[in-house]
Amino acid sequence: MSQAIIEVNQLTKQFKAKTAVHKADFKIAKGEIFGLIGQNGAGKSTLLKMIGGLMYPSSGEIHLFNHAVSDNHAYFERMGLLIEDAGLLPHYSAYENLDLIAISYGLKGRKKHINELLKLVGLDESNKTKVKNYSMGMKQRLGIAVALMGSPDVLILDEPINGLDPQGISEVRKLILQLNKTGMTIIISSHILEELSKVATKYAILHEGEVIEINSKEELQLKCEERIEVEVDEARMAIPILEEQLNIKNYKVISDGTVYVYDTHIENHQITKVLVENGISVHSILKHKQSLEQYFLKRTGSEVDSHD
Amino acid sequence: MINLFKMDLHRFKNNRIMYLLLFIYAAFQIFGIFMMSQYPVEQGGIPVSAMNASEFIQSVLSQTPSWVLMYVAVFSVYFYMSEYNTGFYKNYISMKNARMYSVLSKILILGLFVLLMLTTMVIADLIGRSIFFGNTAIGDVGFFIKLLVGQFLLHWAFSIVVLCIAMITKNLIASLVIGLVLGLNVPGMIVGAVESLISDLNVSSYLLVNTITSIKDLNNMGDVIHVAGVAVIFILLFSFIAVRYKLKEDLK
Ligand SMILES: Nc1ncnc2c1ncn2[C@@H]1O[C@H](COP(=O)(O)OP(=O)(O)OP(=O)(O)O)[C@@H](O)[C@H]1O
Ligand SMILES: [Mg+2]
Repeated sequence: MSQAIIEVNQLTKQFKAKTAVHKADFKIAKGEIFGLIGQNGAGKSTLLKMIGGLMYPSSGEIHLFNHAVSDNHAYFERMGLLIEDAGLLPHYSAYENLDLIAISYGLKGRKKHINELLKLVGLDESNKTKVKNYSMGMKQRLGIAVALMGSPDVLILDEPINGLDPQGISEVRKLILQLNKTGMTIIISSHILEELSKVATKYAILHEGEVIEINSKEELQLKCEERIEVEVDEARMAIPILEEQLNIKNYKVISDGTVYVYDTHIENHQITKVLVENGISVHSILKHKQSLEQYFLKRTGSEVDSHD
Repeated sequence: MINLFKMDLHRFKNNRIMYLLLFIYAAFQIFGIFMMSQYPVEQGGIPVSAMNASEFIQSVLSQTPSWVLMYVAVFSVYFYMSEYNTGFYKNYISMKNARMYSVLSKILILGLFVLLMLTTMVIADLIGRSIFFGNTAIGDVGFFIKLLVGQFLLHWAFSIVVLCIAMITKNLIASLVIGLVLGLNVPGMIVGAVESLISDLNVSSYLLVNTITSIKDLNNMGDVIHVAGVAVIFILLFSFIAVRYKLKEDLK
């Protein structure tokens, strides 16, 4: 079991009339990509602001690198933040913004570091345009560069793909995976589970301020995978028939009487037909299919009746 | 601390508003002296045109509204809010002690601005007086220096008060309005009025803006202590409040 690099216990943030985050508990291990998913107003940004040291919890504790931060705020120093909008000075260019931050960090060799970062996020280093004239996507990219400025151990990205075009989204995804390979722990929030599922290794669902579920990538896949669940008397009798007659290769025997078939080109009735023809009675056959999005909506109790 | 200050200093130096404020102030000041030469006034029995630099500065600062205070208020609000509103602080605030240092650095920058402001005032006055009054007398240099140092500290204290207001209200317009109301010495006048009604207490003369606008005899030790005491107390008190506030603040 790898070490928890971030641990929050009963973390709560109360605004005057509103509990934005309520008794959140979770651990994040080094090297994980932790996906935080929740609807608008679920409390994602508030939670991340507390972990990033911008806001103080009303109650509960945050441990970073195995130390309670209430004892020493310096642990926040190792976090790179992009929370809500990137904090950029509108009358300065990208380079000037980064340069100011580099100065505040007391970095040596600023120019080289800044140009590397700009290149990494796909911005032109010679671009003199003021940030106020940047497109949403360019601001977002610059925000990621800013978050990486201090070479953090943990990168916190709050809805980083907001405003990016499909190409930009895929670039950011690549960047996240690339940074993660270097050992960086990444926390990323979104209201689109589908998008998170392409990068995250662990997921927390936040609903109305509460962490209602934490899944590993595998658990989530299991919950959302597309499969046909076949119940028969004896699975071992059914397998050869499915293999030979329907050319099914992708399956899993779950118990003596249950087989999950993952080949998506097969229809339920084909399975029923071959099994019955071979004298195997089928107790039930069920197509299990839910998209990540459906799953998320179900878990947050906001699934709307749909007619599809 | 040093790094945050360097960063703020960069922002300060590249700030066109700052140069604009200083320039407009200087232009108005010189124009004001021109007007005085057209419509001669006197104060305390001396014609303005015959005053030395110290007397002239005291007479300028004693007239409410004090333009210098207005400019200082505008700049203090502007320098803080232009960073706060963009969220730029998010980029460095998680560094060790950054909350405290960022406030201290802002306070130093305000000191720098006040210094530039007073320098501009002295230079504009000298230019205006030499052109329109043909008078460049400075008078007693010791007195002149005491006056400038005292006024520097007092104005710096005022800028820190305004900084506190901007930090706490988090609102550009509200803090500008409050800053200007303070600059107009409205609280000083109210306290003064209440005081004269109820007792022979004299708290109001120890208020910051009252101290700035009242003419002091700095050859008198009591007046020097009064000025220095008020300035130092206000600087320390409001710096402390500003730092405390920033340490506890929930940032967006
Ligand atoms: N400073 C604040 N003062 C009062 N209420 C706040 C404050 N910040 C957030 N809230 C409230 O807390 C709740 C959670 O807000 P938060 O911004 O954390 O949600 P979110 O999950 O990030 O939403 P989104 O997807 O829209 O970004 C909201 O109801 C919001 O109104
Ligand atoms: Mg948010």
